[in-house]
Amino acid sequence: MDATYVWAVILALAAVTYFNRLSFLGLLAHVELPLRLRRMLAYVPPAILAAIIAPQVFPAGLSSLQTLDLPRLVAALLAVIVALRTRSTLATIGIGMLTLWSMQALLA
Amino acid sequence: MASPQPPLSAPPRHTRIHPALLAGVRASLPLLMGVIPFGVVCGASAASIGLSFAQAWALSWMVFAGSSQIVAVQLLTSGAPSWVIVLTGWVVNLRFMMYSATLAPHSRQYSRFSRWFGAYLLVDQTFAATFGRIAEGREPHETAWFYLGMSLATWLFWQLASIAGILLGNFIPAHWSMDFVVALTFIALLIPLLDNRLMRIAAIVGGAVSLAPQLPLKLNLLAAALAGAGVALLLEKTWTPHTSGPSS
Repeated sequence: MDATYVWAVILALAAVTYFNRLSFLGLLAHVELPLRLRRMLAYVPPAILAAIIAPQVFPAGLSSLQTLDLPRLVAALLAVIVALRTRSTLATIGIGMLTLWSMQALLA
Repeated sequence: MASPQPPLSAPPRHTRIHPALLAGVRASLPLLMGVIPFGVVCGASAASIGLSFAQAWALSWMVFAGSSQIVAVQLLTSGAPSWVIVLTGWVVNLRFMMYSATLAPHSRQYSRFSRWFGAYLLVDQTFAATFGRIAEGREPHETAWFYLGMSLATWLFWQLASIAGILLGNFIPAHWSMDFVVALTFIALLIPLLDNRLMRIAAIVGGAVSLAPQLPLKLNLLAAALAGAGVALLLEKTWTPHTSGPSS
């Protein structure tokens, strides 16, 4: 991968991320964030997290049942249950990966 | 600016470390169960796409925001234009603006250096815990020391976990499907957020849009984030037309 491209992305991403953190603490210290905007910002994390998860659970999309990746789907469902019950990142990753590997071994 | 130690909360002369700093460090410890695996995953995924050690670690200490690091890594490896990666990462990290705005009224008494340094360290867990202490009505200087202690401890462990992940990432065989760890980590981050109907709708819309046929320039994630947040905001307006305060 081109080093200039990678460094440009890292530096620019660092800059915009720091801008977000600093915004009202530093640069806009005497500005109030409008309530509507604040509410919208609260909804971005669930939308983006789900958008990162979904393509990894359905690598071929939802177009047909034949292309469903059963091990990934079952592992993700079990991980959701573990996350709901335990709220533990480690347990969610652990059970999810064990399920994925066992399902892959069974269906291989 | 006045003396940094108000008389009431000044520690005894022989104590050089403010007790609230240590309370902050202690508060970070239970959360390490989430911070460490996530840091390892972020480091490993950066190393696995062939970033150099310096590049992979720069993501962890310069960007210092796991979800956007993962998103950047995925988009880098898919060859998305740099502006798309930066814009998507900016949207992923918009929540920091909300945190920044929430903490701002409690930070005005501090020096510019403190605020700018504190902003660099701002992450989800520290924000939640610090906001909890503000809501409890703790003394402001105590809260500031708490924030510093918790932030520094979280930062340190994030860096150590990232470095471990970067070093491990090069040695993990592809057939282990370790990319799925990212999905599982994000499931662990997502589930606690879904505490009301609108958050669940934002997640469902975001997930559905991300599965739609590929948009040009890898704009799917950005479209998913905006669609999910937009639909939730519209429904919030429809369902709660007479309330002006935040509902949850």
